Amino acid sequence: MAFITDSQTLEDLRILGKRGEDSVLGMFDRTRTRGGAELLEEMFRYPLSDAAAIQYRSGIIRHFATAGTDFPFESELFDITDAYLADTDERTKLSRDENTLGSRFNHLIGADTEYINIYKGVISVIRIMQVLKDFLETNGDFDARGHSFAGAANGSPYRADSRATRALLADAALAPLWAEQANAKLSYAKVADYDLLLRFRHRETIKKILRYIYHLDVYLSVGRVAVERKLTFAEAMAGNGHSLLIEGVYHPFLKHPVPNTLLMMADNNVLFLTGANMAGKSTFMKALGIALFLAHMGFPVPAGKMTFSVLDGIYTTINLSDNLGTGASHFYAEVLRVKKVARELSLSKNLFVIFDELFRGTNVKDAYEATVAITAAFAEKRSSMFVISSHIMEAGEVLKERCNNIGFQYLPTHMNGHTPVYTYTLETGITADRHGMVIINNEGILDILERGRQKKIKP
Amino acid sequence: MSFTCDKQTLDDLNILGKYKPDSIYSLFGGVHTSGGEQLLDSLFRHPLTDPAEINRRSALFRYFQDSVTAFPLDKEPLSVMENYLSTGGRGHWLGSVLQTGWKKLTNSILRDETYSVIQDGLLSTIRILNSFGGFMGRLDADGPYGEQVRKVGALLDDRRLEWIKEQRRFSWFNVARYDHLLRNVLQQEMKTLTDIIYHVDVCVAVGLVARAKGFSYAHAQPKDRNMFRTTGLRHPCLEKAVANPLSLWGDSNMLFLTGANMAGKSTFMKAFGLSVYLAHMGFPVAAEEMTFSVRDGIYSSINVPDNLSLGYSHFYAEVLRVKKVAEEVSGGKDLIVIFDELFKGTNVKDAYDGTLAVSAAFSEYRNCMFILSTHIIEVGEALRVGRPNLQVAYLPTFMEGAVPRYTYRMQEGITSDRHGMMIIENEKIIDIILSEGKVSN
Repeated sequence: MAFITDSQTLEDLRILGKRGEDSVLGMFDRTRTRGGAELLEEMFRYPLSDAAAIQYRSGIIRHFATAGTDFPFESELFDITDAYLADTDERTKLSRDENTLGSRFNHLIGADTEYINIYKGVISVIRIMQVLKDFLETNGDFDARGHSFAGAANGSPYRADSRATRALLADAALAPLWAEQANAKLSYAKVADYDLLLRFRHRETIKKILRYIYHLDVYLSVGRVAVERKLTFAEAMAGNGHSLLIEGVYHPFLKHPVPNTLLMMADNNVLFLTGANMAGKSTFMKALGIALFLAHMGFPVPAGKMTFSVLDGIYTTINLSDNLGTGASHFYAEVLRVKKVARELSLSKNLFVIFDELFRGTNVKDAYEATVAITAAFAEKRSSMFVISSHIMEAGEVLKERCNNIGFQYLPTHMNGHTPVYTYTLETGITADRHGMVIINNEGILDILERGRQKKIKP
Repeated sequence: MSFTCDKQTLDDLNILGKYKPDSIYSLFGGVHTSGGEQLLDSLFRHPLTDPAEINRRSALFRYFQDSVTAFPLDKEPLSVMENYLSTGGRGHWLGSVLQTGWKKLTNSILRDETYSVIQDGLLSTIRILNSFGGFMGRLDADGPYGEQVRKVGALLDDRRLEWIKEQRRFSWFNVARYDHLLRNVLQQEMKTLTDIIYHVDVCVAVGLVARAKGFSYAHAQPKDRNMFRTTGLRHPCLEKAVANPLSLWGDSNMLFLTGANMAGKSTFMKAFGLSVYLAHMGFPVAAEEMTFSVRDGIYSSINVPDNLSLGYSHFYAEVLRVKKVAEEVSGGKDLIVIFDELFKGTNVKDAYDGTLAVSAAFSEYRNCMFILSTHIIEVGEALRVGRPNLQVAYLPTFMEGAVPRYTYRMQEGITSDRHGMMIIENEKIIDIILSEGKVSN
């Protein structure tokens, strides 16, 4: 079963991003081939919900990140190969019989562009296959120094992929490839044979092999980012542990992020978050969401340490806008959003749910009652986890009485004279901090208006 | 000085955007020519601030609405003509004749297509010129569009264009001659003519929308009249929208709007903003009768997003938005200001203090007009004291059993309606959460 999420969540966390924005996808995209870039995006669109698959992928990425392996191919080869393999028109197939004097002359003066393109295509496929074979011989069951992994209990995490790829390469039909010298010129007859072999008869094999290379491209690219950004590999746990431990999680887009630590379990599966404006509630929730999302892809996460029980999906509600087109007010948009999550929960799915400022689009009394009612109902779903932030601290006090599995944390504000100072570090409890008027006064809005009025009266 | 309207406001009111459904631009976007589209675009981007100019433009739209029922020109020959005339070159007529002759020759021998392209362009242009001439001839030469009618008449009566009325087929020599005439000699005249075609395109499209939707034209007044009045204002994009009257003037320049969720507060505020914007373009507005004095711009704060990359929380983004408006207002501009749920990104006490302080300070600017909505009804009571320039109105909710019903009709006063929990109960959310795998739709 696929890990479920929706476009609201992807936008809230800026997973895929729009053009010109920071995005999580953009952060990891160091791929060298177009196929690799496409595959990376595919992984972002379909995170995993199977612990074994997550561990498998993260194992490979960690392996290459530790070894510091470089992508062994020249990127240009793939552009040529893509264009070459895309042309499946039988009429462009080279034929041995057409090697007439006229065509030879054309080749000689370089006038036959079709032939030149096929020639280049054949050469680049051969080159790719040769480099791949060499690479697998040193990186398959062996570590970087050539020691075999065979002795170790697990072997290299990449060995399954490596073996599958080598099985494809072992096809007898590909045997002539290995004998070709790197810079030797191929005769017309040979090019015609290879063209038939690579582009038509064994096209599917070649495509499969390329797919493995694209995977390799993604693994190496993500591994490189993991090293550069000092990311951590999360440990996925199967089964019904319903726990999440994340130490030092931070938001990857920030220059000077402050890390936070959080532990959630079945008997502590709801976090009620309070804090003044600008204290960092939304940022913390986004950081948490991103880490969970990446962890379910088997990707490294921006945190110090992370262990998590694999979930079925994630839903966040951070920046919800009203939608006049469908006739929904802001409040109703929130209600529908909660309803959608409620439906998913009732299907016995284990979800991670984030609500920032639940019911901010309504009056206080309604928001208070609704927050209490919904949060208490969520708390019953012990196999899912919820992070809910609110300005209504009174709701927190009531929830404390009613449920014993809700954790209360807040992000504090300290006043330094008239300037609020934020620590961005979670503390236990509910806060009554509020400094909205201070911020309004610091921006000098009322002064601006007063000055403008004085000016008008004077002349 | 131009009319100010920044990106946040344009987004809030969903004004621009050709491909956005429900945008105001797409509502009026039924033009037939690319030149018409460019013109419409520039009208949308540059609303006017001169009342005489606004009234002149709206009178013209009204005239088209009353006298023209459809765009008079065929789309296909028109686009051929647009292409054909836009590729005109400069040159001597002898050169043109020789070139055309050569193209004719290559056309018959080598099936080269440039000659038939020229021939097509020429024939399409003749068709358009004739039908456009006929169309303009039927308009009133002394009416609001008289100047253009006379101009087109004079252009087409040019002796050099006599041939367009009779001939249907041309020898290659005549193709060369007329091609040279249209694209070189009369290049400037043809440009004037196509510009008028684009203008007619826009006028007809706007008139048709106004007629289909029952829009009317607002009357612009000089700035110092300092007023806005309409007997019935509605949202232009909603079918079956309910109209509400609204009057704002110097001594009553702020409307304080309350109402339960979904009662229609935001919709009313958007409708107000849109009518102001469209009226400053001279466009028809979704209102019954409307008179307004021109303003320097409009600012709204309806859907302000947070901005993490700049480190802004939702609340801080709102504060900065209010600050920006405060700067503009204190800079002496006459503005329309719309604040929906000011400071909704914070706790109640702060929102109360903030809304009260900011609204009180703004309301002193009698040259600007404000509409603000809030859920914090206590602000209204406090604000009312000692401020005769504050109007209070609400959008009511009636309960029909357990189901809230909305009239969307504004009434005077402040309401304490709230039905948030009822909406949640009606959606049966709690039941759904607690039910286990039995979901019914």
